[in-house]
Amino acid sequence: MRTKKRFLIGLVMVLALLFLASCSTPDTPTDGGDTAPTDSGEAPTEAEGPAETAKVVIFIGMGTGTDPDQIAAQEALADEFNSSNDHIEVEFLIVPHEEAGERFLAMVSGGNAPQLVGPNGTSTISQFLDTWMDVTPFIEAENTDMSDFYGPVLELNEFPGKNVGLPLGVYPSFVFYNKDLFDAAGLDYPTHDFSDTSWTIDALRDMAMKLTLDANGNDATSPDFDPANVVQWGYDDSWASGREFAAFWDGPNVGRPTTDDYKTADASSAEWVEGFQWLSDGIWTDYFIPDYVGQEAYYAVGGDPFGGGLVAMFHSHTWFFPEGLIDLPFEYDIAPVPYNHNGTRVATIHADSFTIPDAAANKDAAWEVMKWLTSPEHISDVCQIYGCLPARISVEDEFRGVLSTNWPALDLDVVFDSVEFLDNPQHESWVPEWGKIEDAVNFGLDQIYSGENKDAAAVLESVNTEVQKILDEYWADH
Amino acid sequence: MKRSTRTLSIQKREALWAYVFIAPWIVGFLIFTIGPMLASLYYSFTDYDIISAPVWKGLANYQKLLFNDPLFWHSLKVTIKFAAMALPLNLVIGFLIAVLLNQKVPGVNIWRTLYFLPSVIAGVAVALLWVRIFNARIGLINPILQEYFGVQNPPGWLQDPNWAVPALVIMSLWSVGGSMIIYLAGLQGVPTTLYEAAKIDGANTAQRFWNITIPMMTPVIFYNLVLGLIGAFNYFTEVYVATSGDGGPVRSTLFYNLYLYQNAFRFFEMGYASAMAWVLFVIVLIVTLLVFRSSPLWVFYEGELRK
Repeated sequence: MRTKKRFLIGLVMVLALLFLASCSTPDTPTDGGDTAPTDSGEAPTEAEGPAETAKVVIFIGMGTGTDPDQIAAQEALADEFNSSNDHIEVEFLIVPHEEAGERFLAMVSGGNAPQLVGPNGTSTISQFLDTWMDVTPFIEAENTDMSDFYGPVLELNEFPGKNVGLPLGVYPSFVFYNKDLFDAAGLDYPTHDFSDTSWTIDALRDMAMKLTLDANGNDATSPDFDPANVVQWGYDDSWASGREFAAFWDGPNVGRPTTDDYKTADASSAEWVEGFQWLSDGIWTDYFIPDYVGQEAYYAVGGDPFGGGLVAMFHSHTWFFPEGLIDLPFEYDIAPVPYNHNGTRVATIHADSFTIPDAAANKDAAWEVMKWLTSPEHISDVCQIYGCLPARISVEDEFRGVLSTNWPALDLDVVFDSVEFLDNPQHESWVPEWGKIEDAVNFGLDQIYSGENKDAAAVLESVNTEVQKILDEYWADH
Repeated sequence: MKRSTRTLSIQKREALWAYVFIAPWIVGFLIFTIGPMLASLYYSFTDYDIISAPVWKGLANYQKLLFNDPLFWHSLKVTIKFAAMALPLNLVIGFLIAVLLNQKVPGVNIWRTLYFLPSVIAGVAVALLWVRIFNARIGLINPILQEYFGVQNPPGWLQDPNWAVPALVIMSLWSVGGSMIIYLAGLQGVPTTLYEAAKIDGANTAQRFWNITIPMMTPVIFYNLVLGLIGAFNYFTEVYVATSGDGGPVRSTLFYNLYLYQNAFRFFEMGYASAMAWVLFVIVLIVTLLVFRSSPLWVFYEGELRK
């Protein structure tokens, strides 16, 4: 009896301890090296006391960086940094892309924020804007020389109320074209001359229709063309979001569906309507762009529209190089994005940066690592891991050499000259309720690609209404 | 000798030991189920974006949900449409397969295994498989429809707003083996004496099926109906994988739970998503209670006497 009683008491105590342990709050990170800028914007100071090794965890997974080759390269990068720095220890934390967002939020809310996150595209930065610290005090305190970064690219890191980090790399866009398909159709390749004003969106359309073939080999200009049996399309831009597609048409706010003050929706400008109608006609009237059902054919060739040889022209970015230009069985090259109906050229761009979470410890150390990663000595190596063009002007020649070694078939002038035509406001730039507005604009694009509504004016009118409602709700609380 | 007042009665001691043995489960239930439920109830009255502290908003989330969010009603409509199609099909097909597998034929165990196996495969793998099967250009179904049934313009399935939900309904039938096994167990519990008596009275196969099998199986049907309803309202994994979490095309597959997920993890409105979760809980509770209240009208338990 006495033994049973002791056992019972012991068991209850163990269970109670387990329960209490699970309810305890997590330890807050020690800020031994954390010298975040003060509210007055004063420069950070070095931590006093004995020098300790500050840990900098670089969270990888929001964007690229999770392929096995990239992981190995990042580990080598960490070794290189750690061997040259006694006070900071860098560690890469690789998280699968599908769960990166949730994992990051869990770490931040759990008081365990990583010191650096990246490489983040503008969309990731915009979505999580409230989590990033403003690095302006760091830049001002050290009088960091920003002149070596491409000027337009610097603007991409300017967000409402903060500069989120030093630019790492950019991914300009252009038109990839399949030379073999052009040769088979007896067509001249698109011009690479940026000053050639005959290379317009209408010229692209005409070319694309001749490059669109049905199962019997008739092109889309032929009276015998069978639109129900298309086997090759002239043009594809299906990897672009609604905002990116619209940006090309250079409306008043380019890739942003709001005015400058973010209070009025601007998703139904004449340019956006023109662009969406061009897309609708290209899919449902002229048939040179595949609809959603047509795009299913890409899965027979690994999901890649261009590499699978099913599309003659494909709009994409430099990140497509390591993804899609591997051992292709045909000749290919790139051409500038054509002129739009406004007579301007907008080559949408993606841009990556590393960012420092506001909730992170060791921000000083994180800033040092950020500078190291984007320094002229290392930025080229880092960009080779992620497939971006270094955002520094001084390494352009060096990086041209790298690109020409890996992709000798490409006209690299098109790559570097396209940067000048980036979209600003960029199509992934911050807007209030970024996710909801992105969803609303993509719903519009959805209606066109699915055929649910082929009238661009009607589609964008409803998108504009939805965006305005989202903005009104946001500003009612802010 | 006077009995010690500190000694518990046998019943109380047995009860105490019972609590001791289920204590680990109770602790886990409190920590991992009740705790998060209570937390989400609190968050449902706040503006909470995960990264900053929740701000009390009272009933604002619920008001927006019910009166100012057309996508809430749209997602509910999509979910109900799916449940209205998938649930009856799952119940009927599962039941009929079980009836067939209840026959004494050679190799029936192999057939039972084959029909049950798909239901044990994980949701993500099933979804990926069916996305490929439903591929409008290179999948399994459309070439068969065109080649053998002469269908000129087969559906776009997951790429067609009119066919996306029916495609998901067909996908859900993959796991009918789970309910089939339960029906089979129920069928084998029907007393054979009832069938013998009916045969003697001249009842044919259809009459025995309709007047004995179905009434005797109503408790099992009831059980599967309740579980199926709850499952249909919580449908998420397959649609998330099939649509990459977008609910497309044109929001035709924006299920309730998918919209909840988007609010939580894409729009960072954890408070609003929590309110959605509690509204779903109430809806499912009401529907389940209605089913329970209706059960005396159509569920017959063995040995039950009715007037």
